[in-house]
Order: sequence, then structure tokens, then C-alpha cells
Amino acid sequence: MKPQRKKRLGIILFIAAGLSVAVGLTLFALSQNIDLFYTPTQVAQGEVNPGQRIRIGGMVKEGSVLSAQDSLRVEFAATDYAHDVPIHYEGILPDLFREGQGVVVEGSINSAGVFQASRVLAKHDENYMSPEVKAALDASGASSANHQLQPES
Amino acid sequence: MWTWFHQLGSPKWFYELTGRWLPWLVAAMSLLLLVGIVWALLFVPPDYQQGNTIRIMYIHVPFASISLAFFPLMAIAGTVTLVWKIKLADMIAKTAAPLGAWFTALALASGSIWGSDIWGTWWIWDGRLTSMLLQLFLLIGVISLRSALEDTDAAAKACAVLSIVGCINVFVIKYSVDWWNTLHQPASPITTSGEGPNGPEIWVPLVIMIFAIYLFFAVALILSTRNEILQRERRAQWVQDLVRTA
Repeated sequence: MKPQRKKRLGIILFIAAGLSVAVGLTLFALSQNIDLFYTPTQVAQGEVNPGQRIRIGGMVKEGSVLSAQDSLRVEFAATDYAHDVPIHYEGILPDLFREGQGVVVEGSINSAGVFQASRVLAKHDENYMSPEVKAALDASGASSANHQLQPES
Repeated sequence: MWTWFHQLGSPKWFYELTGRWLPWLVAAMSLLLLVGIVWALLFVPPDYQQGNTIRIMYIHVPFASISLAFFPLMAIAGTVTLVWKIKLADMIAKTAAPLGAWFTALALASGSIWGSDIWGTWWIWDGRLTSMLLQLFLLIGVISLRSALEDTDAAAKACAVLSIVGCINVFVIKYSVDWWNTLHQPASPITTSGEGPNGPEIWVPLVIMIFAIYLFFAVALILSTRNEILQRERRAQWVQDLVRTA
């Protein structure tokens, strides 16, 4: 390689490396802000102020879902299996919504510690399988596929 | 020792070589596309919680995975342009940008349709979706930069630098689902046994579709690069001979 070309290649590699470090540090500094949601544990630790518009991600706690007979009102708890957040919502739920399913809710916590959700989204995990495989896994007790779906904190 | 490298960069050599490859590439692409689409639409079992919606994966994942290849490709071509001043590299980089924008847009669109059904929303500003949208804007930026500069060499250099910088975003897209919590799922680990989640009945057709879309990309890139070669080398003797005999 001619020395001139070697020099140009060196400059390019230097700029690319420098930029990567700069972007890496920026993203590292911003990581809290880039997270899509707070976990119930973060809420329990008081990282969230009442009235602040946030998202909370967790699993719909088994046995916690109460839906009204005459309206679209629904109450449930979002959990990360360490802490729970009670959630009130009025509106249409995604088809995937059920107990043990991952959800991301948008809204704010009121002074009573109840999360008033304006939107409920379903979060699913990375495991795809046919109903037969799922039934076989459940029968053998090997999976609780849903438990792997916990949002990482 | 670098002469072979410069020979490799000859537009005439590239034109003749790809002319021989094209029929085979198109044949392989058509076969894989046919097998992949029929398999994905008719024979893949429905998902235990998403049902038939899972079939969107066989479009979404191939387009999304190939979208990540464009910036590295353009960055390598850009480095070759800046260091060795090989024209063919810039022709490939130039034709890759609009293709990349289309593939990225298709990945975003198919994901959006999937999300509207399963998540309950068309769009959310999480790490994965936002970084992918940024890639679409970066690619549109590369295309605009190219067309804004009249001088071919200046445009080549500017686009090469932007492509190398844009490469960083590819790592952000890839690892966004691991670094931050997102609504988008992390990458699915495959199992080979057939008794766990993501078994062969799900990923084998997906691999076929990924190869098919990669071949589609290769064919599209080759066709548009050949076009670019004919345009830029229109004064060369071999192009004029080619046009005369055609």
C-alpha cells in the first residue's frame, strides 16, 4: 500500500473509532431516558413522581384482573414478581391481554398510588411455538414461558 | 501485490462477471422465494398466542435483517473510495442507498402492521423502532447529499464519510433491545430439538426466506450497479461497442 493511502486509511479508522466512543458515551449517559418504561420495582423505590406521565412495564398479575360488567373499566396489577403496581384503565385492551401476559401501560400515578392508564399495550416475548408445543411444555412443567418474559430491569 | 485489487475494481470486469451470474442468481432467488412463501403461508403452525399473525415474521425479519447490511456495505465501499479511489466501489455505494431506504421502509411498515395487531399500536418510540427510523432518515440523507453535489468525486467522498458515520447506528439498532427495555422483543434464540419454542418448524422457513430476500437484494444491487456503470462509463470504448451490438 502506498504511504499516502495508508495515511488516509488511518485517518478514516481514527475518525470512526473516535465517533463510536463519543456515541457510546452519549448513549450510556442517556440510557435511563432511552428506556421505554419503568419497572414496578423502580416505582416502589420512589423513582416516579405522582402526576408525572410515564410508562410502566410488567406482567399482568395472576388473579388480579377485575373488569366492570357495564363498562370498559378494568383494574389489574402489573408486577415484576418483586413489586406490584395497581392499574386502573378504561378502554379497549389488546387481544393478547390476559393474566400472566406482559404489558406496557401509559399514564400517571395518582396520590393514592394507583396508576391511571390511558393506554395499554401488549408486550410479547421472543418465544414462538405452536399450541401443541406449548401444551407439551406446560404438561411437562418445563416452561413457564411467560416468566421468561419479565422485563429486564 | 495490490494489482489484483485494482483489477477487481474494473467496471468492465464487474459488468461481464455479473452478466454471467445474473441468470443463476435470479433462478435461485425465484426458487427460494416460492418455497419460502408457500411454506410460511401454508405450512408453518400458527403461534400459540399470536395465531396466524405470526406469518408476518417471514416478511418482517428478512427485510429487517438485511436493512442492517446496507450501512456496513456502504461504509466498506466508501472506505475503498476514499483510500484507493476505485470508481466501482462508489457506483455500488450509490445504488445501495435507495435500495437500503426501500428495505428499511418495508421493515418498518411490516413491523408496524404486526404491531397494530399484536401490541395494540402502530408505533411506539422505543429504542429499536426509533433507531430503525433514524436509519431510514440517514439513508434519505445519503441520497439527498449525493444528488445535492454536482461533482461526482466530491459527492462520492461526502457520501463515503456519511456512510462510515452512519454505520454506528447499526450497532445501536442491533443491541437496542438488549441495552434498554423496549416494547419490541429481543432476538429469538432458536432451538434445534423441535420440542421447545422457536423450533425448526418455525425457523427453517425463516432461514429460507432470509436467503431469498438476500438474493433479491443481490440481484437488485447488481442490476442497478450495471445501469450505473453503463451511464458513467458511456465514453469508454467497450460500452460503446456493447451499445452498438445490442
